[in-house]
Amino acid sequence: MSRGVAYYILGRFLQSVMVLWIIVTLLFLLFRLAPSNPLASYIDTTFTKQQEAALLARFGLDKPLGEQYIIYLVNLLKLDLGDTFSYSGKTVLDILGADLPNTIYLTLTSLLLAYAVGVLGGIVMAAMRGSAFERIGTTFTLMTRAAPQFWVGMLLLTFFAFQWKLLPSSGIGPPMVRYRWETEWDKLMSPVFWRHMILPTFTLALYLHGLPLLLMRSNMLEVLDQDYVTMSRLAGYSEWRVMIQTAARNAMLPVLTALTLGIGYSIGGNVVIEHVFSWPGLGRTLVRAVQQADYPLAQGAFFLIAVIIVFMNFIADILYSLLDPRVGASAQAQVS
Amino acid sequence: MSRKLISIAVLAMMMLALALPVTSQSMGEVVPPIIVHSVTQAERPIEYETTRLVVENMRELGLEVEHRAIPWAQLIDEIWYSRTEESSAADRPFQMTHWRMVGRPERSDPDEFTYNLFHSSVRDGGYNFIGYNNPEYDALAEAQRVEVADKEARLGIICEAQQVIRHDMVNAYFIHPLTPQVVNTAVFNPDSITTQAGIGVHNFWTWIGIEPTTDDKTLITSTTSFLNSFNPLEIAGDAPSRVTEMTWDRLMRINPIGVPEPWAAESVVWEDQLNVVVTLREGMKWHDGEDVQSDDAAYSFEAALAGTMQTKDGEERFQPEAPDYYPFASNVANIEIIDDLSLRFTLNTPSAAFETSSLAKLNLIPKHIWEPIINDLLTQDDADVDSIQEEIPIGSGPFKYVAFDVNEFVYLEAFEDHWARPNIDAWIMNVLPNQEATLGQIQAGEMNFLWEWPGDPGVLQSIVDDNEHLDLFSAISIGMNYFAFNVRYAPFDDVTFRQAVAHTIPQQFIIDNIFNGLAAPADSFVSAALEYWRQCDDLPTYDFSIEGARALLEGAGYSWDDDGRLHYPAG
Repeated sequence: MSRGVAYYILGRFLQSVMVLWIIVTLLFLLFRLAPSNPLASYIDTTFTKQQEAALLARFGLDKPLGEQYIIYLVNLLKLDLGDTFSYSGKTVLDILGADLPNTIYLTLTSLLLAYAVGVLGGIVMAAMRGSAFERIGTTFTLMTRAAPQFWVGMLLLTFFAFQWKLLPSSGIGPPMVRYRWETEWDKLMSPVFWRHMILPTFTLALYLHGLPLLLMRSNMLEVLDQDYVTMSRLAGYSEWRVMIQTAARNAMLPVLTALTLGIGYSIGGNVVIEHVFSWPGLGRTLVRAVQQADYPLAQGAFFLIAVIIVFMNFIADILYSLLDPRVGASAQAQVS
Repeated sequence: MSRKLISIAVLAMMMLALALPVTSQSMGEVVPPIIVHSVTQAERPIEYETTRLVVENMRELGLEVEHRAIPWAQLIDEIWYSRTEESSAADRPFQMTHWRMVGRPERSDPDEFTYNLFHSSVRDGGYNFIGYNNPEYDALAEAQRVEVADKEARLGIICEAQQVIRHDMVNAYFIHPLTPQVVNTAVFNPDSITTQAGIGVHNFWTWIGIEPTTDDKTLITSTTSFLNSFNPLEIAGDAPSRVTEMTWDRLMRINPIGVPEPWAAESVVWEDQLNVVVTLREGMKWHDGEDVQSDDAAYSFEAALAGTMQTKDGEERFQPEAPDYYPFASNVANIEIIDDLSLRFTLNTPSAAFETSSLAKLNLIPKHIWEPIINDLLTQDDADVDSIQEEIPIGSGPFKYVAFDVNEFVYLEAFEDHWARPNIDAWIMNVLPNQEATLGQIQAGEMNFLWEWPGDPGVLQSIVDDNEHLDLFSAISIGMNYFAFNVRYAPFDDVTFRQAVAHTIPQQFIIDNIFNGLAAPADSFVSAALEYWRQCDDLPTYDFSIEGARALLEGAGYSWDDDGRLHYPAG
């Protein structure tokens, strides 16, 4: 790795840290200035002033804002996201730690499916440019991208779960099966889990496949005009080989970047699908935490999502600098 | 002729000249704009629509009224924390809001609402957020609490309290919701479902009595609310409370008609106004196999009373370890263990509600598990029982925990060693925030008991009409919907004004059109479901009548200017 690339990566890293710090500060302020009180979920006819004061003290909400901010930053550095307001004896990390794997399984499976279908579809469409298949395919893809996810999810639910009773409608498995899963491995080995994953995965993949497909298609069309492709054709290679080996390999690069970013955004953006399918992931916990005014939990969920997005951005930048030498070189030119 | 005309004109002018200063003198300030709060349409459409309707009608009185719909968490904030006497108008304290109280078994005794909603001692920090302060009422609220011996006399006091509140119109009650529930009667015998007064069919008696008609003896239900924790010393919310009452027994339980009866206790005998002897049933077991004994029962109350003195901001105060249950045990002065199965409670003051709000409220907890936990908590300043969650909680109720996952599900099984073993083998509740999925699941049979429906009741009616295997049950709730007035400030500090506003609520129209008939008319904080406590003389009525409201205002000296705006009485 050249010095330039190293400087470039360091710069990007510092930038990521700055971005995170800004996000963290915004989160802190947003939640404390938001017009709802964290005690809202406790209020009952038997609620007294004394209880109110005790609750405020328990969560440190009686301290000045500045002091709360310092404590919050120090705790974050120690990866201590605090205790939740609303779950007895659980830390934010406990709750989010249980959610994160579910979100990752759902996201990665959907992304893999979406990108596999998207890339192949993009190649085929580029190859069949101008055909009826391409026109119909493009229209379909644009429709799935424009359709609201909750609507697609509800449609799939109505037919596959409620009308034809082929697939389960919600959750990751019935309680009598779930409680026997002691580890993540047990869960992953359970066919019940995978059956529950089909509908949400399909809904998410249907939405996600549009980007790689359209990206691949337009990259392919661009690449197919290049001289080296013409050369390959003239060299007498089969059309199949020209398409896959020569054109597709080159057209893939931007799609890979989209994939890295897609991982980050999808993990944070599954809120709707997780709600529709009652999928116990980060997005659903985030919604419920906000509903319950459970600041530490909502803050923790936002923080985790932000970290993942910023980290994936960082990875995408590094990938770029490694795959495309011009990025590092220009950085070196700036440095020297 | 013309002289006559002139003299009439002169007379008319003189009268006009006399009358003009009089009218301007008799007219007070314009009643300033009023803000009426409610939750948002997305959260609870029924409450939003009701408020919108009433706001329209209030405008007919010549008032400038704004309907401000905000999320529940924010509404609580505005109502709860803007009440102090010092808040100036600039702080915009709330004036009028739609509010609701939900039904719970322990509210089958009128004490909680009678006292906690209106007593002046809970005006600054408690639930009397409307700021009601009436010494005459305070006396009634206190008197019903200590009238232990004579139930008739207590009824008289409760009735009087209802009269006062209805007359003073500090809360304009308009409906008790009918809680709609749907049961799959292809798998359960409909005759084995119990309706509990004021609660509905999703109650303890149904859970132990419901008879499965097929080989699958699992009841599956769902909730849209939160399953946060299962802790016998914490009131975590509606859904967890309903679960804890199945897994932890109580000395008494509120029976289907709303009266406490001995449960884990074989007998409850009052020796006098302050002493009550409780004898436990023989042979009861904890879920871990240990015996249930009188020292466990005593400890269940001692744990609720445990706490330490703590100094905060130079002020020393008692900090209970179980703040949610402390108020229900605090009247206990002493507990004496008589033998393995009997114990005697001595109270500080006579309390008519002791059976309902203490003996039928506190969960029995095993001393061998909780004593070490509470002792440990007593050594810590900043922790209480809310921070405790047993891995598999141990109670002695007819259901025991198999597994749970916070905010996901709870899975209970019948406790074989219980003297009232349920007819079902397992009881499962899933958290299902998506209402459409709830409807889909009950129709498809994935779920067989729909216990909670926050949406439009008409939708439930239609799915029941479409599905032969589904039955709709509904019962009048102890809870109620109403408009609360902040009586600290004008114009709601005037009883006539409040009464006039009460006349603008089209009660029957709301029941028929907004609730699709699934509501009963309300006129008091004591629900029609609590028949005993409603045997009162008729309470004042406020029929829907804009004209009646205007006449009432006019009679009290209010007037309208040429633009139709309502003015305060002069002076």
